[in-house]
Amino acid sequence: MKHLKISFLIFILSVGIQNVSSHDGSPHVTTGKSKADSQEACVEPTELMRKEHYMFLLHQRDETVIDGVRTKKHSFANCIDCHVSYDEQGKAIPINAEGQFCQECHVKTATNITCFSCHAAEPRFPQHSGMTSKMNSNDINELVKHINNDK
Amino acid sequence: MINRRNFLVKSASALAITFVVPSLLSGKAHAKKPLAQKVTDKQSWGIHVDAGKCVEGCTACVDACNEENGLTGFGRPETDSQWIRKVTVKNKTTDKITTMPMMCQHCENPPCCDVCPTGASFKRVDGIVMVNQHTCIGCRYCMMACPFKARSFVHETLTQQNTNAPRGKGCVESCNLCVNRIDHGSETTACEDACNKAGHSAITFGDLKNPSSKVRLAIDSNSPRRLRNDLNLQQKVFYSNI
Ligand code: HEC
Ligand code: HEC
Ligand code: HEC
Repeated sequence: MKHLKISFLIFILSVGIQNVSSHDGSPHVTTGKSKADSQEACVEPTELMRKEHYMFLLHQRDETVIDGVRTKKHSFANCIDCHVSYDEQGKAIPINAEGQFCQECHVKTATNITCFSCHAAEPRFPQHSGMTSKMNSNDINELVKHINNDK
Repeated sequence: MINRRNFLVKSASALAITFVVPSLLSGKAHAKKPLAQKVTDKQSWGIHVDAGKCVEGCTACVDACNEENGLTGFGRPETDSQWIRKVTVKNKTTDKITTMPMMCQHCENPPCCDVCPTGASFKRVDGIVMVNQHTCIGCRYCMMACPFKARSFVHETLTQQNTNAPRGKGCVESCNLCVNRIDHGSETTACEDACNKAGHSAITFGDLKNPSSKVRLAIDSNSPRRLRNDLNLQQKVFYSNI
């Protein structure tokens, strides 16, 4: 009986994960659009990200805080920048809000993360720094800023 | 004829000319650390404060720090976070009044790190003393150990944090010399920028190990002292004209 329960649980979990793994056309249940929606690939193969995204985050966490490594690839801020969705007004929807990218899947897989009690759940920069993040990357200024930031 | 591809190639080269060339010409004072490289002890960050130039009533540095790090108050001055504050002191014998900014003094021998039970309070190899909030348990021993009262504890649930400055309830925090900016190659801290902009230039940040850095020039042309030198903490924040 116990085994049955466990296999049922595993079944539910795997179905849950498959349901949210979209990007093949069907929307991954987010309301608006994110930069990721218009891109082909994540920072690592999707299969790997689905299973081990948190390993990259936890590794980057110590590399950055203790050793000052500031690469963009596995940066938490960068995940949010690419995966956060925007409403019709172009305003970012917190990525941990109900139905949003990080939250949706974690609810389904019964995962709880506390990262967003400290980390901004949408791109937010001090007014003066001139760093903004908007959906419209046609904007030449935006492009220039990204190019400059990437160096 | 300009087709789409041609246009893209041309705009890309125009971009390259406008944005790559100036960065080659600008002649940065220190070589920017590649983002993938770990910090080393080849640099040692510090600050010189010329209290003679600090103006009573001016809070430009404090305001800039608050904005940079998203520090918002709850109208409780006793406990609201302060990473930098203005302090006014009076010399008892001469009656001379001095006003100056106080922040984490980035000790070479930091008492906060000595008392931390988890190692969350640490000194980065380039000298920045800071809190690893991922391992801070909020015991506040470091706050008691700090002779400069430089640290704050977050008592409330926070929202609206800046992307570059995560912070949250239950952790200790303090000035980290704008570590994120510095790691990205900035040569100034937010407080220094603001002080310069306000026309006072009392704060100078830079690499203490580089003899031609602006902070070294400031230190060499003044005769600054460390606060509470008797404690032999070897701080990296220096004060002149107090
Ligand atoms: C430049 C944009 C971009 C960045 C940055 C990025 N991702 Fe992705 N991510 C994507 C795209 C696009 C996909 C979908 C790939 C596909 O369809 O195969 C994806 C897929 C994923 C998936 C699988 C989702 C699913 O439905 O199966 C996870 C989990 C994920 N990303 C997490 C992260 C994390 C964590 C980070 C930060 C370390 C991150 N991503 C950074 C673009 C990005
Ligand atoms: C108590 C507050 C707090 C919590 C909770 C927290 N962090 Fe952080 N995090 C910080 C601070 C402070 C920094 C340092 C920011 C800097 O120097 O840029 C940071 C930096 C990081 C970085 C490097 C910067 C970046 O954007 O890549 C990563 C990665 C990271 N945290 C991951 C996590 C993950 C994953 C969680 C949840 C499991 C988490 N953090 C929870 C406070 C927190
Ligand atoms: C495809 C579904 C899915 C998506 C999308 C997803 N996660 Fe996860 N995440 C999981 C699962 C499942 C776990 C638990 C893995 C385990 O414990 O083995 C997890 C675990 C984590 C953990 C580790 C939690 C812990 O305490 O160990 C972090 C941190 C995390 N996710 C961050 C994120 C962030 C940030 C995003 C959005 C950028 C995100 N995840 C998007 C499914 C997802």
